[in-house]
Amino acid sequence: MPLELRDESMSLVGVVTVDEVEQMVGWLRTCQRPKVSLRRCNHLHTGALQAMLLFRPKITSAPKDAFLASQVLPLLTGSSGDTGRQGTEPP
Amino acid sequence: MNPLLAQFLAEANDLLASVDDGLLELERHPGDPELVNEVFRAAHTFKGSSGLFDFPELTRLTHAAEDLLDAVRGGRLALDSGMTDDLLASFDLIRGWLAHVTAHERLPATAGQDAAGLITKLRAPLGGGAEPAAADQESQASVRRIDPPPQWLAHLGTEWLIETAGWLATTSSTLRFVRYLPDQDCFFRAEDPLHLVRQVPGLDRLAVIPPDEWPAPDQYDEYVCLLSFVIATRAAVGELDYLFRYVPDQISVVELDAAAIHRHLEGEDETEVPVATPAPRPDALHVDPALAADAQAVLAAAHRTLAVGEPVGTQLAALTASVTAAALALGVPLDLTGADQEAVNAAIEGVLGRAPVEPAAEPPAVDHPVVAALAAPPAPVPAAEPAGRADDPGGQVGTRVLKVDQEKVDRLMELVGELNVAKNGLTFLAAAAEEEFGSRALSRRIKDQYAGLHRIAEELQAAVMDVRMLPLSVAFGRFPRLVRDLSRRLGKTIELVTEGEDTMADKDVIEALGDPLVHLVRNSLDHGIETSEERIAAGKTPAARLTLAAVADGDAVLVEVSDDGRGVDPVRVKRKAYEKGLISEEELESLSDSDAVDLVFRPGFSTADQISDLSGRGVGMDAVRASVEKLGGSVTMRSELGSGTVTRLRLPLSMAVTQVMVVSVAGQRFGVPVDLVVETVRVPAAEMGRVLHQDVVVMRGEVVPVIDLARALEMPWSPEPDRDLAVLVASVNGQRIGLLVEQFHREVDVILKPMEGLLAYAAEFSGTALLGDGLVLLVLNLKEVLGLAARVA
Repeated sequence: MPLELRDESMSLVGVVTVDEVEQMVGWLRTCQRPKVSLRRCNHLHTGALQAMLLFRPKITSAPKDAFLASQVLPLLTGSSGDTGRQGTEPP
Repeated sequence: MNPLLAQFLAEANDLLASVDDGLLELERHPGDPELVNEVFRAAHTFKGSSGLFDFPELTRLTHAAEDLLDAVRGGRLALDSGMTDDLLASFDLIRGWLAHVTAHERLPATAGQDAAGLITKLRAPLGGGAEPAAADQESQASVRRIDPPPQWLAHLGTEWLIETAGWLATTSSTLRFVRYLPDQDCFFRAEDPLHLVRQVPGLDRLAVIPPDEWPAPDQYDEYVCLLSFVIATRAAVGELDYLFRYVPDQISVVELDAAAIHRHLEGEDETEVPVATPAPRPDALHVDPALAADAQAVLAAAHRTLAVGEPVGTQLAALTASVTAAALALGVPLDLTGADQEAVNAAIEGVLGRAPVEPAAEPPAVDHPVVAALAAPPAPVPAAEPAGRADDPGGQVGTRVLKVDQEKVDRLMELVGELNVAKNGLTFLAAAAEEEFGSRALSRRIKDQYAGLHRIAEELQAAVMDVRMLPLSVAFGRFPRLVRDLSRRLGKTIELVTEGEDTMADKDVIEALGDPLVHLVRNSLDHGIETSEERIAAGKTPAARLTLAAVADGDAVLVEVSDDGRGVDPVRVKRKAYEKGLISEEELESLSDSDAVDLVFRPGFSTADQISDLSGRGVGMDAVRASVEKLGGSVTMRSELGSGTVTRLRLPLSMAVTQVMVVSVAGQRFGVPVDLVVETVRVPAAEMGRVLHQDVVVMRGEVVPVIDLARALEMPWSPEPDRDLAVLVASVNGQRIGLLVEQFHREVDVILKPMEGLLAYAAEFSGTALLGDGLVLLVLNLKEVLGLAARVA
């Protein structure tokens, strides 16, 4: 089950597909102070990302997935995303 | 460093060595066609791999060398010592460059100039002369397409763009920039723009652009895509075209160099910039002004020191080192090894005279501090010998990787195994010291020694095994591509998920795993997973999921290939097997569903009505099982009709050392692989029951059949009636069975040798091992022993 929903918090697990987006948005709409854990998330659908960008839930734990951690997490936590260049940085 | 580059550097070292050897040998035996061929091949390989990276000078220079060697190979030119000198010089220069690449992941700034002279020289004997060569070089440089900078570049952030422009100028390279504007209704077409974006190879920077205005939360339609993306990547245009081939109208790709980015930063977006802009000056260097100021202070101090005193020895060496470091920071690599005071002084003056002064140097009319920093004059080519030349002794190509013949590692492993066996001998010696010589103290001291030796042997074994260990990502690596291509061909939407890629296993296991895995994945794609329409009709998500998962389990590794497809239909499988004569009519009636699934492993079985080009011919599942069992592993398949199939491979972590539990019957010792052993129990003889000609014991409410090992192996032994029975409970094929034995002994690590010669037919033994006391231990193949017991009964 890619979404583990509780009253005020949600865990994304594995790959969140487009099928989970509706449920997720419904939850985000009803929740007062939504909190989302991305720790076990490997990929999330664009629709899910978009919903989180709109509703801005609090991210309680960072994803282990490298792409999500480096590219997507900064968008969600609202930092500028200037994590620097990857890999090709001259020492 | 990216692994591909690391690999290239490691290989480059070998190639360079073989080119050098070949060239030197050629001097002694000119015209030897085999030698010329060898050198040519190495140069060719080298050029090919260098093309993977953004090292245009390197590719150009090797190309020139390759052309010359090709002419020699083709007999159009005779190699003279002048040409050999040029070739050697070229490869020496390359070696210097690669040392620089090893440290900085880029070519030295002077590469273009250093290469130009050599390229002219290399091309001269080809009759073309210097001019065409230069022209060729020109045309190569200008072939690179530079697009006018688009407005949307701004999404990547000014700071990043400036940094990148500096980097691009330094390396005179380009980057591809992509804007991806997904259609609003793309979610309905099962597109996931973010998923596409994460597949962009060499992704350097990603900007996700939210809509200008978000809709109110209660009016928000979660199925309308509002996001767009801007990406900077090192991927080639071709790669991008391929990746985005299904959404070509939603993306725009531009290729930009430093100058184009500058134009964007200076606000000249999409103006009438000529497409063929001059390439940036190859020696343009971007130096941080603060760093430059510090470095200049260091140089000035060094200069004063030299003017006042006359440092010698270590003092001079220290001074030289700081001068070199400061010069390097200014982008002027110096080689002052062994230089005397005057040379150092001259170098300092050279650098101070030419290094970039403060960024006060007139920037072109733009009052932007960062742009001003960019516009700082380029560092000049130093007067001293540039770093990275052939005679630079400090450079090292490639990381510190030792390439070793696998046989040598295998030999080491064997020796470790023998050490283990010899070590095990000590426990027998300790027992003998106590029993035969009556010295308990000596026995204890031997045991202490044993403990120490045991620890070392264990660590040694782990260290040697570690050399042979690879992560499973090596085996999984080929699947994203395979699944993508095959699913396109089959018209199915499949999402591949891999888990536990960093689980480690022995190199042999990983390599041997490749073919079975490919077969299982293909099988799953071809038979298991339905088309999107069928899935929707069955009430499933249109995209199927295929999972490759690995997890370490003691001294074994479990690899699972699972899909959420249609599953195996036991009725159909039974019918097919019956039609093909694999099972009898009676079996057709009586086989349970889970046993029916197992039928797919029978040789000659196939459910495919039509042979596709993916499966249905060549290897079947029987080959998969056979090859996994050859590795000492097992394959099991669970399937539920309508909801998917899971195939689980269980493989030993390493094939080198096996842990066995030693038991004996009729005075003869046998080994049982420890990973099969569940527990050892002693059961009062009275508790042994008998159900349908089969001895059983009831343990914790479970009935476990017990097999008399002595009877199965036809050895004369019967348990003493008044003693408790020793039963070893093992798990075979997912079932528990008890093995009635005479006595349990200790567990030992052994190296299993396959049964050979006259005993090769004896399938009930999986191999032999030498014990510490010199006895040969027969290790049981429990699966066969079960079959044997069934026949005996």
